Amino acid sequence: MSLFGFGARQPTSAEKIASVENELKVIAEMHTRMVKICSLKCIDKTYREGELSKGEAVCLDRCSAKFFEAHSKISDQLQQQTAAQGGGGFGGM
Amino acid sequence: MNFPGAGTPGANPGFNPNDPNVKWLTNAMESCYAKTAMSGVAGFGLGGLFGMFMASMAYDTPYHTAGATNTPVSSLPWKQQLKVGFKDMGSRSWSTAKNFGMVGALFSGIECGIEGLRAKNDMGNGVAAGCLTGAILARNGGPQAAAVGCAGFAAFSAAIDAWMRMPKEED
Repeated sequence: MSLFGFGARQPTSAEKIASVENELKVIAEMHTRMVKICSLKCIDKTYREGELSKGEAVCLDRCSAKFFEAHSKISDQLQQQTAAQGGGGFGGM
Repeated sequence: MNFPGAGTPGANPGFNPNDPNVKWLTNAMESCYAKTAMSGVAGFGLGGLFGMFMASMAYDTPYHTAGATNTPVSSLPWKQQLKVGFKDMGSRSWSTAKNFGMVGALFSGIECGIEGLRAKNDMGNGVAAGCLTGAILARNGGPQAAAVGCAGFAAFSAAIDAWMRMPKEED
């Protein structure tokens, strides 16, 4: 993705770099998991044709929407818990 | 709408698949409305051809003409015979075209709707759509006729679906 800081206009601290890298890893992992889970649930294994049928497309839409919503709700809860416990810093998601 | 050459190199010039307009058009073509319309038009065309074919086989009775009161067709002058024949063929093929078009549009629309609701792609969609289509087509004959129409059309649809879903034989 983008270059972090070296020779850029603003100087960035190592912590900011680490947090952004962390966030990127979390998002990438979420994406991988979502693709795997939703294609397991929604895509028929007989593979009669190469294009998504209407049922599969609707299923993938719904699966990804639910996954995002579940992920964001759980992240909110986790943030509340860690904030309540006094932890924090840049552990945001 | 098209940006020739602005997509991946080596792609078909004038058809960039990442163009939002192309994506929108592709999505619209796969929507239930477009599928219904296309099936209706295809059914209309096929019904017209079928009706024309069937009309050419219906001249076994001398009184079976529209517009000729009591004179058999073979006694009219040659040009008149042709005119009567073409008019009958036209009206018959128009009526079968309308029927087939309606059947095609109904079945396709109902099946697409059921598949969109269930979010699954299996044979149940075709069977349920066939049952509803058969019942709607036979609605004027009462509940028993509707049930028979449902069962018949559902069986027909299931047979065609089963045949189309047979796995291809590997060579």
